[in-house]
Amino acid sequence: MYIKTAYSTKGTSDEVIQDLKSQIGAFDTKLLVFFSSPRLAPNIISQKVQNAFPGAQVFGCTTSGEIVSGKMLKNSLVAMAFDATAVNDVKIEVVENPKNENSVRKAFTAFEGHFKSPMAEMDPAKYVGMIFVDGLSGAEEKLIDKIGDLTNVTFIGGSAGDDLKFEATHVFANGKSFSNAAVLAVLKPGVPFTFIKTQSFCDLGKKLVVTKANEENREVIEFNDKPAAQAYAEVLGVDVEEAPNRFMHNPVGLLIDGVPFVRSPQRIKGSSMLFYCGVTEGMELSLLESTDIIDDTRQAVAHAKQDLGSISGIININCILRTLELDQKQLSDDYGKIFSDVPTIGFSSYGEQYIGHINQTATMLVFK
Amino acid sequence: MAGKIKQMIDSIINQRAKDNPMLVGVIKSKLMLKGIDPNKFTATSDDDPAIIAKLEAVMKEMK
Repeated sequence: MYIKTAYSTKGTSDEVIQDLKSQIGAFDTKLLVFFSSPRLAPNIISQKVQNAFPGAQVFGCTTSGEIVSGKMLKNSLVAMAFDATAVNDVKIEVVENPKNENSVRKAFTAFEGHFKSPMAEMDPAKYVGMIFVDGLSGAEEKLIDKIGDLTNVTFIGGSAGDDLKFEATHVFANGKSFSNAAVLAVLKPGVPFTFIKTQSFCDLGKKLVVTKANEENREVIEFNDKPAAQAYAEVLGVDVEEAPNRFMHNPVGLLIDGVPFVRSPQRIKGSSMLFYCGVTEGMELSLLESTDIIDDTRQAVAHAKQDLGSISGIININCILRTLELDQKQLSDDYGKIFSDVPTIGFSSYGEQYIGHINQTATMLVFK
Repeated sequence: MAGKIKQMIDSIINQRAKDNPMLVGVIKSKLMLKGIDPNKFTATSDDDPAIIAKLEAVMKEMK
């Protein structure tokens, strides 16, 4: 066994750490990824996890709910430990003030120094990147866009949560906790790996072209040359007043090879629409309708298992809107059970990253 | 003038994907997320300065 998972729902941070240590035991941890409920003080838990695993590289973030093999949790801490067989090498960098144009370059210079290779030349079949971002920073598009320009290595991850309080989210790196920051890690796994990007929507065949936008604010001012809220309501066949009630079940998506990169509406502002991720003028979006999260996720995991032959670990970043829908439909237990037989950790996120910044999606890094 | 956008897109894809079909798909996806749909541009497409500026920024980052 080269990947081990642990979780704790104990009361104090000291009890959580003890619980974690007893589950991971004498395992020779090279890398530890953890996701923590914000009820545990971020600066304290970050330091204590690092102190508990002094020889390991450690990173993670706060959550709006956690996932572990077989269960969706609340108020817990979940962790995945990798030994040197699973992860041959890893380098973690913190990007502070992530909206700054040069912040990613600085991290990439550090990666290049560590791996002795330009990031633009690194083989995406041999290396993988992970990204966790302050979920209230609004910096995700710029970050993932810049990363994508600079390397072919796939970065996958999500935006930290804070139990839907929307007050402060944190990312963790090597014993410290950061806000208005992103943690980037480049891993050289020793085992094959793959990715899952799964969202449960079908295309209703109705187009909404972004004809006017304030891209910085994730605001669509006009769709199809009409006020955005009016155009969205029209394609749904409802009044503008009814439209917000449909946001969760009818987001929009950029279809790439028939697969949606979901953009979820947040609220109507005047006659505009604000989204949870970036929209660009000229983008042709499709009206979507929600389908079966359980069935789609089960199929996605089965497909990954077929690809790799077996699965030894999954890191699952699951959109908070999916979690809310699962709660609403009383399907959280069923979702957890999809991962019963697979060492899994994850969290409910304020946004997901895979190639771009997306919503209402689960992004997963899967190890053989 | 026409066709410059397609030329630039092809150049980015060739430079970054180096004939790896998986990477070709990823790079096309990245461009689409920037609001540039590679399938919409041909050798006769107009040279839209806004799109050209976006592509120039991508090419600059790749250097």
